[in-house]
Amino acid sequence: MARLVPPGARELPALTALRLEVRAFLAEQVAAGAFVPHVDTWLTRWDRDFTRELGRRGWLGMVIPQRYGGQGRTFLERFVVTEELLVVGAPVAAHWIAERQIGPSLLRYGTEEQKQAFLPGISRGEVVFGIGMSEPDSGSDLASVRTRAERVDGGWRLTGTKVWTSGAHEADAFFALARSAPLDPAHRHAGLSQFIVDLRAPGVTIRPIISMGGDHHFNEVHLDGVLIPDDRVLGQVGEGWSQVTSELAHERSGPERVLSTFQLLAAAAQAMDDGRLPTDPGLGRHVARVAALHHMSFAVSTALENAEDADTAAAVVKVLGTTGEGDIADYVDTLTATGWALDEELDTLLHAAILQRPGFTLRGGTNEILRGVIARGLGLR
Amino acid sequence: MTDIRDLAAPTTPDPDLVAVLTDLFADYRATRATPTEVVDLDRGLWQRLEDLGLTRLTGTESAGGSGGGWVDAAALLGLAAAAAAPVPLAEHDVLGGWLLEAAGLPNDGGLRTVCRPDPSGVALNVTWARDASSVVALWEDRDQWRVADVPIDLVGVEERRNLAGEPSDTVEFDLDDLEAGIVVDHAIGEQFHLRGALARSAQVVGAMERVVDVVVAHVREREQFGRPIGSFQAVQHLVSDIACETALARAATDAAVARAAASDWTDPGMLFAVGVAKSCVGHAASVVVRGSHQALGAIGTTLEHELHTLTRPILARRSEYGSLQDWDETLTALASSAGHDRLWTLITTGRAKTQRAREPL
Repeated sequence: MARLVPPGARELPALTALRLEVRAFLAEQVAAGAFVPHVDTWLTRWDRDFTRELGRRGWLGMVIPQRYGGQGRTFLERFVVTEELLVVGAPVAAHWIAERQIGPSLLRYGTEEQKQAFLPGISRGEVVFGIGMSEPDSGSDLASVRTRAERVDGGWRLTGTKVWTSGAHEADAFFALARSAPLDPAHRHAGLSQFIVDLRAPGVTIRPIISMGGDHHFNEVHLDGVLIPDDRVLGQVGEGWSQVTSELAHERSGPERVLSTFQLLAAAAQAMDDGRLPTDPGLGRHVARVAALHHMSFAVSTALENAEDADTAAAVVKVLGTTGEGDIADYVDTLTATGWALDEELDTLLHAAILQRPGFTLRGGTNEILRGVIARGLGLR
Repeated sequence: MTDIRDLAAPTTPDPDLVAVLTDLFADYRATRATPTEVVDLDRGLWQRLEDLGLTRLTGTESAGGSGGGWVDAAALLGLAAAAAAPVPLAEHDVLGGWLLEAAGLPNDGGLRTVCRPDPSGVALNVTWARDASSVVALWEDRDQWRVADVPIDLVGVEERRNLAGEPSDTVEFDLDDLEAGIVVDHAIGEQFHLRGALARSAQVVGAMERVVDVVVAHVREREQFGRPIGSFQAVQHLVSDIACETALARAATDAAVARAAASDWTDPGMLFAVGVAKSCVGHAASVVVRGSHQALGAIGTTLEHELHTLTRPILARRSEYGSLQDWDETLTALASSAGHDRLWTLITTGRAKTQRAREPL
C-alpha cells in the first residue's frame, strides 16, 4: 500500500525536555487556579493574560524568526508545546489562529513591512488574529465566496459577510478571503485574494452567533465597503486560493484535531479508578487511539518540518482525530446515568464536550471533504 | 529499572532488505497456486527464505542468525503477511529462536514452533506444530519460567486448523520434558506474550495494507452504471475509512516496534506500547475486513479470490496473544491507575509513574 502517512519519528531528548518544562509550568498554573481545565479550549477559552504569559516564556511565535520577535524554533518544538497546552485544557484560543496560521502565512507571503508590523506582537501574544473564510453560502465550497474586493485609489474596498469567525469580537484583525476578480466558472479558484483586515476599521460590524450551549465564540462579520490599503493585501492579488490551501496541512494535522476532549478522557480514567464510573474496556480503546494519533500527528509534523508534502496524511489525522475526540464525548455519555451522582467536574466537561462535538468534524474542512482528499491520495479521483 | 535507549537505532527498516523482500514476495505472489480452503506450509518458500538468512533474521550472529533487529523483523513479518505467505516466521524466529537463545539452548536450524503449555502440559492452537521438527515450550512452573526444546516425536499432536485454514494444532507434552527445561529469567516469561502480540500486530497490519491495495485496484477497475465504482462518493468514503484505520494501526505498531528496538524490550513502557498496537490493529481489523468485502462484492467471497487469503488470517491473528477485549482491559487498567493527572504521561512514555527517562518515543 502506498503510504498515506509518513513513517514514525523519534522524539529526541531536547524536545522531551521542552515538553516537561511546559508541563511543569502548566501544572503550577492549574494548582494556582490560574485557569480551570476545560475541553475544546482552543476554540472556546480566551485569556489574553495567559496568552501573554506564554509569550513571555517564549512559547509563542515558536516558528517565527528571532529578527521578527519570534523564537526561531522548529515545527516539532511547537508541536510538543501545543500538545502540552491542549492536554491540560489551557485557555489558548486567543493566540491559536495567529500561532497556527497567521504567523506562518505572513512569513511566507507577507511583505517585510507586514512582518515587522505584526509578527513581534503575535510573538508576545499581544496581537490577536482571527480568520475569515466561511460565508453564509460558502462552507465546504470555499471557492464560492462572494465577499467582493473592489479596486479603489490606493487600495481595495471589501464588501460581504463572513461567518463562524471564532473570536472576532476579541480579535484585533483577521485575514479575509475575497473575490478580487469576477467568478470564471471554468477557473473557479482564480480571482481570489487575501486581505489583512483591521477589525476596528470603519465599516466592520461584528455580531455574535451564539452556540447551542449558550457560548459565544462564533461571530458574523459584516464588511461594508471596508477600505483596505494596498499594503494590507496579503501576498499576490489573485493567488488567494493557493495561499490558503498551501497551509492546510499545518491546519489539519495538529494535536488540536485529536485532543479537544482529552480533559474528559482523563477525568473518565480517574472516575473509573475511583469507582465513580464502571470499569470498561472502551476506555482502553480510546486511550490507544489517542496514543496512536499522537505518534501519527508527530510523524506528519516531522514531514512538514522537512518540507515534505503531507496533505493526504494531514487529512488522515483530521478524519481519525476529530472522529475520535467526538467519540470520547459520546462514550463517556454512554457510561453515565441520569440521576447518578457524578462529580461536578466530570459533568461540566461531559456536557461541554457533547455540545462542542458537532463542530469537531466540521471545522477546518468537513470529514466528508477530507475523505475525498484521502480518496484522491489513493488514486480514486 | 534500567532504561537504556539507543537514540540512533533506526525507526524504519533497512531499504535494501525491503527491496529484496518486495521482489521475493512479488515473485511468490505471481507464481503461487490458486487459493485453497486449507493452507499448508510452503517448504519451497521456506527454503528460499532460509537461503537468504531470513528465517533467523533476529538471531545473533554467533548463534547462526543474521543479527537483525525488530524493525527489520517487523517489516519481514508484514511483507510476508501481505503475500499471505504460509511460513512460520514469527514462531520460528522472533519467538522460538529468541527463547532458545535466551535459554542458551542449541538451535540446529530445524523448523520450530512455539507455545505455552498449561500446567497439564497441553497447549492449544499451536500454529504449524505438525510441520515443526521440535516445539519450543515456555512453561511457568512454581514461580519459575522454563524453556524446553522438545522434539516433535516426543509430543502428541492433534491436527486442527484455525480460521485462516492454517495448521493450529493441539500439542500435548510429557511433563518430564517440560520439567527438564532450562530456567530463564522472569523477564523472558513476561516478554513472550508481548513479543507474540507485537509480531501478530505486524502481520495483521501488513495484511491490511495489502487489502487496501486490493480494494483500490478493484474499485478503479470494476464498472457499474457506466463508470468505475470508485468514482462514487459512497465507495470513496468506504475505501478512505479502510485506509485510515490501516494507517492508524501502522502508526501504533511502528511506534511499539521502534520502542522495542531502541531498548531491546527493556523499556518498562512496552506493555502499554504493545497494548496500543494490539488495540488499534484489532479494531482496525473489524473495519478493514467488513469494508473490503463490501467493496469487492460477491467475487471477494469466492475461494479463488485473493481477498480471503488476507481477511481470514487478519481475523485469526488479531485474537492470538490476547483477545482484543483482553488488551483493551489491560489498557483500561493502566489508564485508570494513571488517573487524571498521569494519563498523558502514560500516553507519551508508556509509564504512569514519574521516571528518570528523559525521552518518550
